[in-house]
Amino acid sequence: MQRFFILNRLLSVLTTLFGISIFVFIVLRVIPGDTITSSLGIETGALSPEQIESLKRYYGIDQPLIGQYFSWISSFLRGDLGFSYSTGTPVLQLTKSALLVTLELALIGTVLGVFIGISIGMFSARKPGSLRDFAGQFFGLLALAVPGFVLSTTIVTVMANQFQYFPNGYEYMSPTEDLWMNFQQMLFPGLVLGIAVAAPVMRTTRSALLETVDKDFIRTAYGKGVKPRIVRLKHVLRNSLIPIVTMTGIQFGYLLGGAVIVEKIFSLPGMGRQILDAINKREYATVQSSIMIFAIMFVAINLITDLVYRKVDPRIK
Amino acid sequence: MKLKKLTIGVAVAALIGGTFVAQPAKAASGELVIGSVLDIDRTDPHTSTNFATVRGLGLVYGSLIEIGAKNAIKGGLASSWVFNSDSTQLTLNLRKGVKFHDGSTFDAEDAKASLERILDTKTGAAARANIATITSITAKGRQLILKMSVPNAPILAALEGVNMAMLSKDDIDAGKIGGSNKPNGTGPYKWGTWEPTQSLKLTSFADYYAGEPSIGAVTIRVIPNEASILSALNAGTIGMGIVTDPLIARQVKSNLKTFKVPALAYYALQFNTKQAPLDDKNVRLAIQCAIDRDELIKTALLGEGKVTGPITSPDFRSNPTARPCPTVNLAKAREYLAAAGKSSGVTFKTLVTSTGWATSVAMAQNLKAQLAKVNITMDLDIVEQGTYVPRWLAADFTATLANNGGRVDPDTMYTRYFTSTGNLNKVATYSSSTLDANFLKGKASGKAPVRKDAYTAISKELEDNAVWVWLATPYEYRVATKKLRGFTALANGSLLQLRFAKLG
Repeated sequence: MQRFFILNRLLSVLTTLFGISIFVFIVLRVIPGDTITSSLGIETGALSPEQIESLKRYYGIDQPLIGQYFSWISSFLRGDLGFSYSTGTPVLQLTKSALLVTLELALIGTVLGVFIGISIGMFSARKPGSLRDFAGQFFGLLALAVPGFVLSTTIVTVMANQFQYFPNGYEYMSPTEDLWMNFQQMLFPGLVLGIAVAAPVMRTTRSALLETVDKDFIRTAYGKGVKPRIVRLKHVLRNSLIPIVTMTGIQFGYLLGGAVIVEKIFSLPGMGRQILDAINKREYATVQSSIMIFAIMFVAINLITDLVYRKVDPRIK
Repeated sequence: MKLKKLTIGVAVAALIGGTFVAQPAKAASGELVIGSVLDIDRTDPHTSTNFATVRGLGLVYGSLIEIGAKNAIKGGLASSWVFNSDSTQLTLNLRKGVKFHDGSTFDAEDAKASLERILDTKTGAAARANIATITSITAKGRQLILKMSVPNAPILAALEGVNMAMLSKDDIDAGKIGGSNKPNGTGPYKWGTWEPTQSLKLTSFADYYAGEPSIGAVTIRVIPNEASILSALNAGTIGMGIVTDPLIARQVKSNLKTFKVPALAYYALQFNTKQAPLDDKNVRLAIQCAIDRDELIKTALLGEGKVTGPITSPDFRSNPTARPCPTVNLAKAREYLAAAGKSSGVTFKTLVTSTGWATSVAMAQNLKAQLAKVNITMDLDIVEQGTYVPRWLAADFTATLANNGGRVDPDTMYTRYFTSTGNLNKVATYSSSTLDANFLKGKASGKAPVRKDAYTAISKELEDNAVWVWLATPYEYRVATKKLRGFTALANGSLLQLRFAKLG
């Protein structure tokens, strides 16, 4: 049964990825402009038809669309993500460093978001309808309502103007190059993403806890004299985890894409920026391969989330 | 329990406090870090069009001619020059003691090979059209002799800039230009490292012909948001910022220095004169009369701009009051509409880029509101820049709000648009025999008054026919720490004057 489930899910994942690869490929070709016009701008008008043909050959966009698709997808499957003409660098090389930045950012955002969301959710659910519940729910609403770019810009401006502090103005440092600088550069963008994650996690936690707290086995636990703190953590929270895990998995997936604005404002060289730049430059290989990597991660996270459900709640088969 | 809470509180406070206290050391003196929204996108100077690339490579490469302060044409790698009597031959005397960063000496053979590379259609050089009249190039000792097919005095200005960079003949012959090859120029700064989407690092060139720059290193760091660039300046993590958004420029406080010069670029409402209703001159004139340029500048540009006519080249600048309706005149606009038989108003669509420049959409909205006062409905077709450019190139618009680059010479600025054989005439959608004749007159004469007359006539024809509506010129902003001294901002956006600047 378990094996059938995994096989079924894997098949569904492969179909989804195939669909995404075609969708992204077509959408990029449908939007006006190509690598030449985005690279040379209005100076493209100075090129002769022969020069344009020559440049099309150079960029590999002179082939029929089907040929271009199979050329790209077969290279992708062999681990060759293509070449970025604007940077003179293989996409794989660009992606390696950018992906680490985005993953680190999404991970920090998720950890902070889950920590804040569950804490405030528990805080709210302890006395429904009370002032503390109102405060918790107000936080949830506020976090949902304030867009990430507003929060990011506010943090950057206040920190720079009031405290002359903007570590992201320095060169980006990976954790292996300078851990302390990396921590400083990731703290605030991680917090912005964390707050975005915290809101839905908080609301989900609150609802799930309120639902669980009235169950018979909780009353039994209290009746047996188990300490309230232990009941809350080991019985109520544990049994409310499924929707929280689901929500966290979904949010982590969204964070991968949602990091674009935060990466831009905090000047982090992540995948979001890489994709945005590549779309503007119509660098097809970079956009297609980067989005495919995101898609693979997104479906993988969803698959893992499904598997974690089954672990958290053995009743799910 | 309380002790535990206290411990957690102290730990959090220490973490946040530590973050503020343990700030990294400020950039060492002698290194200038410049924040730029855009990264460079190539290393071949001849094919560069991106502003960031032109700025970055402008510090690495030299050209025969330069544009100095107040937009004066001055010698670069050519120290002097002379035209023959009918301006069909230009002899340039090359500067002595110029070296490439690899230590080799720059000579006339390098200059010849560089110009030939630009003229070679296979190169795809961005500025080839500006020197396409060159029929032969001769290297003779320290002299470079250019022969042209027609009299061409403005070619001197065309030899300026990154697109006309002088390269080593050896590098050209070996195919070592662009791609992953390390740029080897004659400019004040040597190529260090380029980490795409992050930073470009340059170091001062000890053998630079005008003396080694006193700022030892320049790093152009990509900070993809202008508000963040200003924050980085306020925090002292960068020393200079490239700013284009007037809203950001107005937020600069007194702790920083703003270098502000009127740009050569200009904003215009471009018309497709082949499409109704803008194929009617009276409709175009009605639009021109209904637009209040001062209001546009005060609102959409936040006061950061100047009203302009067609020509922004400083020596030949158009008089913005010499046009039908130099100020807004709604009654006149209605008269023109009536003359066009459109008293009830007209409707047309305008192509607008949402990402081309910071104020594009605000400007379009403002113009739309202004035109509505005389029953002219300007519908907006807002697209991102990648979509805008191909549609602009194909003249796939009835009207478009454009931010076009300017040049120090009107010949290189407008020949390509408004002569019948200009490569962008399809986009300009207007040409005439009188314009052709006046451009030829302006090109042929080396005498300033003759040229001035020719370009005044060109300007008048363009305005009287409301071929486009020229609106305003923006400013170029460089915001820097007060430690930066001796720097002059140039209207063409170049950072070349950093070679004479100092820190501290």
